[in-house]
Amino acid sequence: MNMFFHELKAGRKSMIIWACSLSAIVILMMSIFPAFMTDVEAAKKLFLGLPDAVKKMFGFYADTFFTLLGFYAYIFLFVVLCGSIQAMNLGTGIVSKEVSGKTADFLLSKPVSRKRILTAKLLAALAIMIITDAVFFIVAVIMANIVKTEPFSMAKFIMISLTLLFVQLMFFTLGFLISVIAPKIRSVLPISLGVVFTFFLLNMVDSIIGEKAARYIIPFLYYDNSYIIRNGSYEVSFMIVEAVFIIVAIAASYRFYIRKDIKV
Amino acid sequence: MNLKGGAVEMNVIEISNLTKYYGKSRGIIDVNFNVEEGEIFGFIGPNGAGKSTTIRILLSLIYPTSGSASIFGRDCVEFGPEIKKEIGYLPSEVFYYDTMRVIDLLNYSASFYNKDCSARIKELAGIMDLDLHARIDDLSYGNKKKVGIVQGLIHQPKLIILDEPTGGLDPLMQQKFFDLLQAENQRGAAILLSSHILSEVQRLCSRVAIIKEGRIIKIDTISSMREDNNKKFRIEMKSENAISNDFFKMEGVKDLKVDGRMISFLYLGNINLIMKKFASIDIANVWIEEMDLEEIFLHYYEKEDRSLEKEDQTAQKEEQKL
Repeated sequence: MNMFFHELKAGRKSMIIWACSLSAIVILMMSIFPAFMTDVEAAKKLFLGLPDAVKKMFGFYADTFFTLLGFYAYIFLFVVLCGSIQAMNLGTGIVSKEVSGKTADFLLSKPVSRKRILTAKLLAALAIMIITDAVFFIVAVIMANIVKTEPFSMAKFIMISLTLLFVQLMFFTLGFLISVIAPKIRSVLPISLGVVFTFFLLNMVDSIIGEKAARYIIPFLYYDNSYIIRNGSYEVSFMIVEAVFIIVAIAASYRFYIRKDIKV
Repeated sequence: MNLKGGAVEMNVIEISNLTKYYGKSRGIIDVNFNVEEGEIFGFIGPNGAGKSTTIRILLSLIYPTSGSASIFGRDCVEFGPEIKKEIGYLPSEVFYYDTMRVIDLLNYSASFYNKDCSARIKELAGIMDLDLHARIDDLSYGNKKKVGIVQGLIHQPKLIILDEPTGGLDPLMQQKFFDLLQAENQRGAAILLSSHILSEVQRLCSRVAIIKEGRIIKIDTISSMREDNNKKFRIEMKSENAISNDFFKMEGVKDLKVDGRMISFLYLGNINLIMKKFASIDIANVWIEEMDLEEIFLHYYEKEDRSLEKEDQTAQKEEQKL
């Protein structure tokens, strides 16, 4: 437990910053919503006038866009993008920072197994993501209730919001795996920003060309918000693929880290 | 096991045929030595000889390519976490979580051992004159080293492993640190001290292993290393050319130099024989010196080089024959 709390404390500041950033995004963007709703017809005309590619790229769907859920689903893409960067940073950094900060000798010469070290770090990172998302969610619910023009389905609102954590978990796992396998990571940001933005661009490209299979390799496409709004459920196949990926990648990380030489 | 009677000497560290390669580059090759209970064991060699590699294997920070190491009779790889409860380790370069305060770091360190260490932290910080409320990244190199020392000793370990521990400490602090180590040793802790500074090894250790290019080239007690060694003779004659240049040429004498009235050489052998020679000549002054460990150490290194060269030469000759 000491390591878990140590990690929480170490990650506290960045967690607060991320929670504030995500909250700021949702506050700013949701506050635009009433402006759209004052003149729906004019706004619809404006958006329908956009080229198809642009509409698809940013996920505009006229039938849902002018509802609160549709609007939330749309701005949620940016929230997920930010959340993914946080998760990837966490995943890539939480183990590798001991090597780049040269504190690995201190930690690993303590009477704890590497398995326990990894577990403490994983749980701390999970807690950090959950707390960040919870803060964001509370702010989002408050904002939604302030700007709503008609009642909306809370269940679907929660389902959409939860996908933030689901996508974060994928990026976290990917970062974790990379950091354990890479011999030495000097700087986390280039890796995490690089990976997240690459997937984000792929997401936009694939939104235009609509290749179905590509959805399985792009975390941003795992949870289609318009599907959730229409059906009130997730696409199970994607959830299964994600679960398998996380379990396999984390198990591989443990295996690899336990046998790894810790170099100075 | 009869520990107190001394009939059975238990080895705290047992290293046998330990070899480590980093990919193709050499770490250590076929290292063997034991550290006995209650002893202060020195581990000397130049930078890059393999001292840290050996120590890092003992702490299972890295894993051996072949051979094995055990501490308290248990394998380092298999029982790492259990063994480390009783080990205090001070790495050569100390790095800690920069944003923490010293006291928080020490408490964090203590939290890994199921002991109440708060009194011990205060005591050690007092001895080492360490400010507990400073932030780690505000500390100087020497003060960080002090944090490392306190951190390594708070849980009263049975084995203390020090990797070049004195860098950055002023002489006064070094003295306090050595006193502290000796006190820990009296309490019963065994100490493995790796260093390239011979004076500190000479001062603390009873036995030493000398490592060179990954191989152990000598394990002996400090005192017998001294005994077995050449004495340095310098003689000032009353007049030049009073004796022939070959006067001191006898078994055990080497590096004979005659420079005007000054004669110098190294001697290893029965001291009475050489003293008889002195009796028959007219001497103005004489100095007989023990080689200090530094010279002994260099001597071993040179000797190794020479024998290696010889090996090379014979190998070459054999190749030519073929």
